[in-house]
Amino acid sequence: MKIARLIACLFLALPALAQSGQTWLLTQSTLSYHMSHPMHEVDGVSHAARGKGFCQSGVCNFLVAVPVKTFDSGDSNRDEHMLQVTRGADFPLVTVRFRLPASALNSPILDCDLDVQFAGNTAHYSHVPFHQNMQGADHHITGSIPSTLTDFKIPPPSFLTIPIKNEIPVKVDMLWRPQ
Amino acid sequence: MKFFLAHIFPVRFRLPLLLLVSGAFLGIPARLAAQQASLADSGVLETSSSSLSLPDAPLPQQQTQPAAQTPPQTPAQKPSAPSLSDLGLSPTQTAANPALQARLDRHTQMLKIHQRLGLLTLIPLAATLISSGGATAGHHNGTQTAGGNTVGRDLHASLGSVAVGMYAATAWYAIRAPKISEGPVRGGIKFHKYLIYIHAPGMVLTPILGAMAFDQLNKGEKVHGIASAHAAVAWTTVAAYTAAIVSVSWPIHLKL
Repeated sequence: MKIARLIACLFLALPALAQSGQTWLLTQSTLSYHMSHPMHEVDGVSHAARGKGFCQSGVCNFLVAVPVKTFDSGDSNRDEHMLQVTRGADFPLVTVRFRLPASALNSPILDCDLDVQFAGNTAHYSHVPFHQNMQGADHHITGSIPSTLTDFKIPPPSFLTIPIKNEIPVKVDMLWRPQ
Repeated sequence: MKFFLAHIFPVRFRLPLLLLVSGAFLGIPARLAAQQASLADSGVLETSSSSLSLPDAPLPQQQTQPAAQTPPQTPAQKPSAPSLSDLGLSPTQTAANPALQARLDRHTQMLKIHQRLGLLTLIPLAATLISSGGATAGHHNGTQTAGGNTVGRDLHASLGSVAVGMYAATAWYAIRAPKISEGPVRGGIKFHKYLIYIHAPGMVLTPILGAMAFDQLNKGEKVHGIASAHAAVAWTTVAAYTAAIVSVSWPIHLKL
């Protein structure tokens, strides 16, 4: 009788155990935007992204955030202008949210639907592929987000009256680890 | 404990009680934690922690959410989606700073005027250099004559004055632009700033030497003394000024 009670107890507690889920942590990251102008090709790099993922009921929700001011293009004057034009003081973070089924976390290509919030606007990117390479416990993710200035209503900065290209793809190189 | 169980809870109630307690210990804290994190992210969590014991209470509308860093969440995301506080970001890191944004806007606005005026200043500078050929002393049969072409000299002096005036206005917009970062400057702007130490004194010295040379020529004298350095100082100043414009755009990758 006692054993039957114990089994019943454990059986009913299982869903509660499953809800506690798994947590993923972003341990290393390199995010770089590319800006193109007839006279300049510029890459702004940040290593300051923070990220976490919570898995629950077979679905994993991830959040990555990076302060806008941490992007370094190698020119402090340009970085200050970037901060101004993207309203980086009003909206100091770029956040990326996405969901993945827990069953897809180990596949070599991750098909992600991203919600990117930047400069006070949110853009949705569907089916963005990311390549995954597993190195022990670490999951090395690489890919590119096809973002544009118009997605976030950013007025294109110009040099010698020629505006920069609308496309500002963001390269992603991250290392995630389950906790 | 045994007495408590035997008298307060008869045998038939013990299993449901056990399940309830195990559920409370295993499941509810996790749900509450997730809900708390979600609320903290949306800026709604302003009540005391005692309200968390009522998970089914309707949530208020997100009226107080700061527009800056709270993305819209679907109801399905809410229970387990990580929040900015989960990432260890403090409110000061995520809060908007309108004062800084206003300073950035003013900084950019003033530097844009600085840039335009600086480029426009090249026009009178170039015109001054071209007109310098007609501002020299007159010559007759290989010997210098008194007076010379005074119209050419006047034109050169006028263009030089316009160039200096526009240079001063250009400099004023850069000097008065609010400072954003106190850190070290990086990139082409560093050389742009170094070159100030050449063209700024040059822009002061050139018209002084020019006025001295102008006076000497009008008196019918040969340009002498420190005034004879006018042309060399002027050319050095213009070279440094042009280099300053190019350096702020460096490196240039032409992609036509």
